Amino acid sequence: MRTVRKRISTALISIGAVLTFICAVSLPCEGIPSKPVPPRLVNDYASILTPGQQSNLEQKLVAFSDSTSNQIAVVIVNDLEGYESIEYATRIGIDWGVGGSNYNNGIVVVVKVKTERESGDVAIAVGYGLEGAIPDVYAKRIQTEIMVPHFKNGEYYEAINEACDALIELANGEYGRMEQEEGDDIGLIIFILMFALVIVVIVVIAFLGKGNGNSGDGPDGSGGSGGKDPDTIYIPGAHPRTIYKPRGGSLGGFGGGSFGGGSFGGGGGFGGFGGGSFGGGGASTKW
Amino acid sequence: MKKTWTIIGIIALVAVIVFVWFKNVYNGMVAGEESVSAAWAQVENVYQRRADLIPNLVATVKGYAAHEASTLESVVSARAKATQITVDADDLSPEDIAKFNQAQGELSAALGKLLSITENYPDLKANENFRDLQAQLEGTENRIATERMKFNDTAREYNTNIRKFPNNIVASLFDFEPKGYFEAKEGADVAPVVEF
Repeated sequence: MRTVRKRISTALISIGAVLTFICAVSLPCEGIPSKPVPPRLVNDYASILTPGQQSNLEQKLVAFSDSTSNQIAVVIVNDLEGYESIEYATRIGIDWGVGGSNYNNGIVVVVKVKTERESGDVAIAVGYGLEGAIPDVYAKRIQTEIMVPHFKNGEYYEAINEACDALIELANGEYGRMEQEEGDDIGLIIFILMFALVIVVIVVIAFLGKGNGNSGDGPDGSGGSGGKDPDTIYIPGAHPRTIYKPRGGSLGGFGGGSFGGGSFGGGGGFGGFGGGSFGGGGASTKW
Repeated sequence: MKKTWTIIGIIALVAVIVFVWFKNVYNGMVAGEESVSAAWAQVENVYQRRADLIPNLVATVKGYAAHEASTLESVVSARAKATQITVDADDLSPEDIAKFNQAQGELSAALGKLLSITENYPDLKANENFRDLQAQLEGTENRIATERMKFNDTAREYNTNIRKFPNNIVASLFDFEPKGYFEAKEGADVAPVVEF
């Protein structure tokens, strides 16, 4: 009785420890908005842009992402949750995975709206792969020479729009879409080949099992292969067939991108963030 | 006879399972240690980037504020001290990292003081070269913060991995030592003094 209780308490403690660990890992950045679903490049949490301006900007950035694979995400907020603006932008970049994972070619533009009490703040975080094309000094100049003069007149859309134009011009030609696709294709081919191999192995095992005369026991006979859930489907007039479904996530996890096409304002939807990383490059300016 | 074979079979199976488990755990730790070293290399990289910017910054400030000699001098000596401290990337013990952090923290403090006195020199602040340097320095400070965060995350993952049961048995057998962290932000652990 005592040992049972002890065992239960140990089990509970270890479950607790695992849960704490999971929480600690899955909540790396407190206060940073979570990745938008469906994925969007323009995220106006302060509702400062009109819907028309938003979709204009989104379309421009999606087109840029489609043609060059460079991704520019725009985030407009009322509050930086205690972070420095550049830190906030960097964390969003890392958290959302802006840019492709091969080239880390993402940019995050964060604008904190000026209020009566607090000054406005703008930051441009540049992914590892674009630090050469957009050095900190250039990011700073885009802010001081293009954005801040507009911000001072309250022209948020113009500021962000022209800054995006400047960033597009700087980042253009750094990476091409063709290279990016080639890399993805190889990964996909390998994935398909491995998937086919797994299916062949399963079929062979099922076939051999049948040959030994074990088929009478149904799904039990073929259990025990790690990570797969056998679902038995009975088709009238045919032999029972066992279909293997990969357990949750092993398909969805591939490529890291989420697919959310079509739902945004009519224009070709944004395909999702690619898992790019950031090293803290970029600049910030207050006004 | 059949029984013996069964027993031998079971022993062989257990041996294979133990071997595979052992191999996975051990290789996982090696990979973890490698990624901690890689994260550390990035940390050193960005600190080096800052150290490389300083001579230029000091020279520029000197041109406008030559009589702030003591502040300039303290930046130069803090830089010299900080660049002397190198940490063995294979070891990364908490003591080493604390020492490194201490020296770099002193350099940060000296730099902060230098940048605050530049506020008194409008000509200097208007100088384009100085403004560019300042933007680079700010970018570098943010890179330092980012790489420190990434290093801590990687080290934490590795430390958790080697301390979990039963991995800790493998870790102690092969001397996988826990890595150090960067403790808080420099100076952030010191409560601000409020005077009335």
